[in-house]
Amino acid sequence: MAWSATSPGANQPDNTAFTQQRLPAWQPLLSAGIVLPLFFCVGLAFIGLGLGLYYTSNGIKELEYDYTGDPGTGNCSVCAAAGERVAPPPANCTCQWCFSLSELFQGPVFLYYELSNFYQNNRRYVVSRDDAQLSGLASALRHPTNECAPYQRSPAGVPIAPCGAIANSLFNDSFKLLHQRLPGGAYVEVPLDRTGIAWWTDYHVKFHNPEPINGSLKLAFYGTAKPPNWPRPAYDLSPDPNNTGFVNQDFVVWMRTAALPTFRKLYARIRHGNYSAGLPRGAYCVNITYNYPVLAFDGHKRLIFSSISWMGGKNPFLGVAYLTFGSLCIVTGFVMLVVYIRHQDENGEDEDE
Amino acid sequence: IDISLNLCAEAYIPQKYPDNRIVSSKYTFWNFIPKNLFEQFRRIANFYFLIIFLVQLIIDTPTSPVTSGLPLFFVIAVTAIKQGYEDWLRHKADNAMNQCPVHFIQHGKLVRKQSRNLRVGDVVMVNDGETFPCDLIFLSSSREDGTCYVTTASLDGESSHKTYYAVQETKGFQTEEEIDNLHATVECEQPQPDLYKFVGRIHVYQERNEPVVRSLGSENLLLRGASLKNTEKIFGVAIYTGMETKMALNYQSKSQKRSVVEKSMNVFLVVYLCILISKALINTILKYVWQSDPFRDEPWFNQKTESERQRNLFLKAFTDFLAFMVLFNYIIPVSMYVTVEMQKFLGSYFLTWDEDMFDEETGEGPLVNTSDLNEELGQVEYIFTDKTGTLTENNMEFIECCIEGNVYVPHVICNGQILPNSGGIDMIDSSPGVSGKEREELFFRALCLCHTVQVKDDVLVDGQKKSPDSSRSCIYISSSPDEVALVEGIQRLGFTYLRLKDNHMEILNRDNDIERYELLDTLSFDSVRRRMSVIVKSASGDIYLFCKGADSAIFPRVSEGKIDQVRSRVERNAVEGLRTLCVAYKKCTQEEYDEIHELLHSAKVALQEREKKLAEAYDQIETNLILLGATAVEDRLQKAGIKVWVLTGDKMETATTLFKLLKTSLRVLSKDEDLAFIFYVSCRLSNDLQDFGLIIDGAALSLIMKPRQTGSSGNYRELFLEICRNCSAVLCCRMAPLQKAQIVKLIKLSKEHPITLAIGDGANDVSMILEAHVGIGIIGKEGRQAARNSDYAIPKFKHLKKMILVHGHFYYIRISELVQYFFYKNVCFIFPQFLYQFFCGFSQQPLYDTAYLTLYNISFTSLPILMYSLMEQHVTSDMLKRDPSLYRDIAKNALLRWRVFLYWTFLGVFDALVFFFGAYLMLENTTVTINGQVFGNWTFGTLVFTVLVFTVTLKLALDTHYWTWINHFVIWGSLIFYIIFSLLWGGIIWPFLSYQRMYFVFIQMLSSGPAWLGIILLIIVSLLPDILKKVLCRQLWPTATERTQTKHQCLSVEQSTIFMLSQTSSSLSF
Repeated sequence: MAWSATSPGANQPDNTAFTQQRLPAWQPLLSAGIVLPLFFCVGLAFIGLGLGLYYTSNGIKELEYDYTGDPGTGNCSVCAAAGERVAPPPANCTCQWCFSLSELFQGPVFLYYELSNFYQNNRRYVVSRDDAQLSGLASALRHPTNECAPYQRSPAGVPIAPCGAIANSLFNDSFKLLHQRLPGGAYVEVPLDRTGIAWWTDYHVKFHNPEPINGSLKLAFYGTAKPPNWPRPAYDLSPDPNNTGFVNQDFVVWMRTAALPTFRKLYARIRHGNYSAGLPRGAYCVNITYNYPVLAFDGHKRLIFSSISWMGGKNPFLGVAYLTFGSLCIVTGFVMLVVYIRHQDENGEDEDE
Repeated sequence: IDISLNLCAEAYIPQKYPDNRIVSSKYTFWNFIPKNLFEQFRRIANFYFLIIFLVQLIIDTPTSPVTSGLPLFFVIAVTAIKQGYEDWLRHKADNAMNQCPVHFIQHGKLVRKQSRNLRVGDVVMVNDGETFPCDLIFLSSSREDGTCYVTTASLDGESSHKTYYAVQETKGFQTEEEIDNLHATVECEQPQPDLYKFVGRIHVYQERNEPVVRSLGSENLLLRGASLKNTEKIFGVAIYTGMETKMALNYQSKSQKRSVVEKSMNVFLVVYLCILISKALINTILKYVWQSDPFRDEPWFNQKTESERQRNLFLKAFTDFLAFMVLFNYIIPVSMYVTVEMQKFLGSYFLTWDEDMFDEETGEGPLVNTSDLNEELGQVEYIFTDKTGTLTENNMEFIECCIEGNVYVPHVICNGQILPNSGGIDMIDSSPGVSGKEREELFFRALCLCHTVQVKDDVLVDGQKKSPDSSRSCIYISSSPDEVALVEGIQRLGFTYLRLKDNHMEILNRDNDIERYELLDTLSFDSVRRRMSVIVKSASGDIYLFCKGADSAIFPRVSEGKIDQVRSRVERNAVEGLRTLCVAYKKCTQEEYDEIHELLHSAKVALQEREKKLAEAYDQIETNLILLGATAVEDRLQKAGIKVWVLTGDKMETATTLFKLLKTSLRVLSKDEDLAFIFYVSCRLSNDLQDFGLIIDGAALSLIMKPRQTGSSGNYRELFLEICRNCSAVLCCRMAPLQKAQIVKLIKLSKEHPITLAIGDGANDVSMILEAHVGIGIIGKEGRQAARNSDYAIPKFKHLKKMILVHGHFYYIRISELVQYFFYKNVCFIFPQFLYQFFCGFSQQPLYDTAYLTLYNISFTSLPILMYSLMEQHVTSDMLKRDPSLYRDIAKNALLRWRVFLYWTFLGVFDALVFFFGAYLMLENTTVTINGQVFGNWTFGTLVFTVLVFTVTLKLALDTHYWTWINHFVIWGSLIFYIIFSLLWGGIIWPFLSYQRMYFVFIQMLSSGPAWLGIILLIIVSLLPDILKKVLCRQLWPTATERTQTKHQCLSVEQSTIFMLSQTSSSLSF
């Protein structure tokens, strides 16, 4: 074998599969043959899944009551009228919503409140908080970020803790659920579990109280002012020392701003005592402490009892979407099959000619 | 020596000469940052991003300045580093050049100095092999005849040795002292970049005598950058230094060419800018409409600060508008520019790496001079080629000569063996008579003398001693390969050209006697005259003028000789594709010669219009010739299997032959005497389409191009264009270089604005290469000038096919997908954010977290598309090469048409609607977790974003036809990276962040079953229309590409079947 004596040029390219663009490759083709079965499979799978989701969602019970207090809609209208366009609203106006269950409300039951037309996602509102302050940082406690303005400092110039519009507008209606087991019997208070309504990580990691001084949270908050709308300072939010200050469940829930102007927030879970299986039949009343003014911005307040399945609350959307889309897949599949077959014939004829 | 630079003698301009420093660098250490930044921000895109960034800095905007500042900083920094590095290299090269030592004469002594200290008027000594430090007037050389050899390879790429001549009066000065005593004044023109033009005058003052005036031409001017060869040393005087040298003047960069894709990209950009502005405008207006209720503008739970309340309404509205602009600015991604640049730069390596385009002979592969035009290679509609140098490779061989109608072939066939070196000749026609013999010898002598070939001095160059009788094997060098072929051919016929010594040409005749001819004048070759002449004086005192040139240039000037026989032979040879030259002579008396000499001298000395005067003189001299005969040199033809326009300097018959090779058959359609139009029609019988071809010559063309006074000026031009456009091939012959460029321009500017490609290898093709959209040079033997001026250079013409059909096609589909995909993915990205404004009170609340906003284009979706745009092959390269019709699928910018662009945009809008409203309906008024807890706005955004990243990446996966492991790696890798990043980003309280809004958002989302189901559903719903469209289009209206893809799949299946069958049969037969 005689190799050429001339040495190859110094700039002879490398002969690798990569440089020669000949890397081994999988070359799939989106042809009708592959896509058609895919459509049918996906369609069938989606219809199955959709049916499951639909029935799950349908099995979830919801009981909803609008207690905004529009004139003539129950006894909350008195409170609404009293509190109209007053901020902060007058304290301790109460009203009541009574309902009766003819059968067991399958548990576990969750109590939500819903606000509408409340723009928690307004940019000025969303940024109006100081995560450093809420994490218990001592320096941030007395120097809230500028984004909190105009809820950064009180008129006297004292830093507000917790600062910002979100904290200031904390939802402060409270609910008490009473159950009358027997007609004409006494109303018994249903225990509401107010723990575990906020994200575990928020409650335990993200939010921290400032380090107590001499065991007193009040001293730790010394030199700060309460948010203007709050009736009492943060360290007095709750008598429970584990649920006060910044690590108050209601507060933490409120601080997670909602995505849309109509939103629900979890108020309590009903899972203790006789009510762990749900709400038994009977008459119920909810005592509402009506504090939060919503008519000023054309808002509404609702109270919702909802059961929860593996897929969360009632939401027919997913089930319907899966069903619709599954059927659509099957229909398109058939249309494409027809096109495919007819076109195949034409092709065959073409080839015959 | 005094030097004065004069435009003309009357207007003397006092001149300040620069020093001899060459500055090719753009920046200095001090001005690098401001100048570079200024240049970078002159790009409209960079400027736009800078404005956005500044707006973010100044006003209160929804996103932090980091989101646009970081990518912009990255882009600017990378570009600045690249440019800085390039400039540093230039600085280094400049320094090396400016500091290299130069010998020059000071007070009669040889001094060594740095090159930069050289001044105009200094006398410089240059040794063999050294490079000239500036432009020099050649004063004297160590050679007695006052010549020197120079190679200008680094200037124009011509590797041949050129002869330069010392000034007659000074060529005797051999020592430093002699030179120092020289008193002279040089007048010369202002510096100009033309390498081959120089006009000047030298006055030499000799003691007591009148000063002698000598004309100076380009043959006296040694150019900076060229180097001395085969000459021991020379002396020269510096006339142009530093930035005034012709080399420096030629540094000017070429005008920037922009590709069609880039133009479409800019148009799309404007469209998106309009979309962006209208989005911001709509939102601003709606915001103020919506806010007109005071409880919406400032509800009790979200009050404004005092300063916000007091701000002017218009100022507020304007600030809001800017804030919306900032919020949506990602729709024009800064990263697209980076990706496009990277794709072009990296992609061009595949061209240079291509083994098929590597030339073993020369050891060179393709060169990419600019990667900006890669995709333009896939858009070529017209190819302009110069046959003379491109279709043929310039490997010439002397085939025959015809003297007075008798044909001679320079080798005998003996026992079936060719003896190339034998001195005998084959007579084909009848043997010549006595006068014929005389003519024959004269013909050979003419060919031996009439040329500009140099003999390479073996003794000097190689240092090897050769025996005197081996002189026959000496090596000839010339800038024109056919001259070498001729001299070599004549050598085989018995006459050997030995050398030029002391202005005497020596030839060895058949009887091994040396004949000496004094070379009186050379009327050098030029492409307008297309002929050259020499005037020699034989030993016997006879003065001859020998003229050699193209037949069309010789025949009109011939008064005697067997013209008809020669012409028929020439035409026959031309039809066979040979290059023909005619030879004629004229005998002069001494008086006639004196007259000629006077004419030439006056023309040569002229400072103004020297060229014109010379041409006139030549024209007068080369008349009344006697035809001797013709020669034929063979061009080795290369295959050219593609549609081309041939613009050539050759004569029509040769051109026609070539045409025949390109197309099947030709027939004369009509002949218009007036315009010398000749139409040819070629009928392709294989299909019903008739392909027309047009042949036109330079004379006719100049008639067409010439504007007419009568007002009908445009008519011929338009008619010509109309005809040309309907022809599948056009051939223009006998073209001057400028005419070639004119033709290219004509086509380029015609109504449809087709994309043109010019390919050529000679200096005469440069104008056309620069004019065309894509210029390709061939790294040929005629020098590298074409290659240096081109956008791409290839070693051989045959490589053009792969370059266009395969690489161009790939580049085009890759970049068009890249552009469309970038716009698509950013519509998908930003449109949900736009929709979200309707649900957050037009408050500019971003839907996604800052990290997602910043990293979306930088890391989550960048690599897959970059890799796609480097690797994608929708059809294999073999297939593309085999089936050129696939090229039509992408012609006329097919993948970036408005229809396609709108499809992508609407697909993006559809996907965005699916993402947003899918997430909206899923999370509206409900909880999706098993523990009943609710999600906030960041979860909503993250859900949309997750669907977005997956959909956009999978959409690219659907478009990918060529899945190498790299594609798998980047596509799945990007998705995994997104997940890992999100887990990390939300999994830790980041101490450097002032907000912790993403804390555990992603993980919480994944803990919800319906979120998973929703993500899967939304991804599939978004992808479905595209799948549907793809399948239906493939089924109902398949393009040629898609047909090939399908066929290819079937073929691979069939092949394996056939293979199995053949195996069966073979096993049966044994």
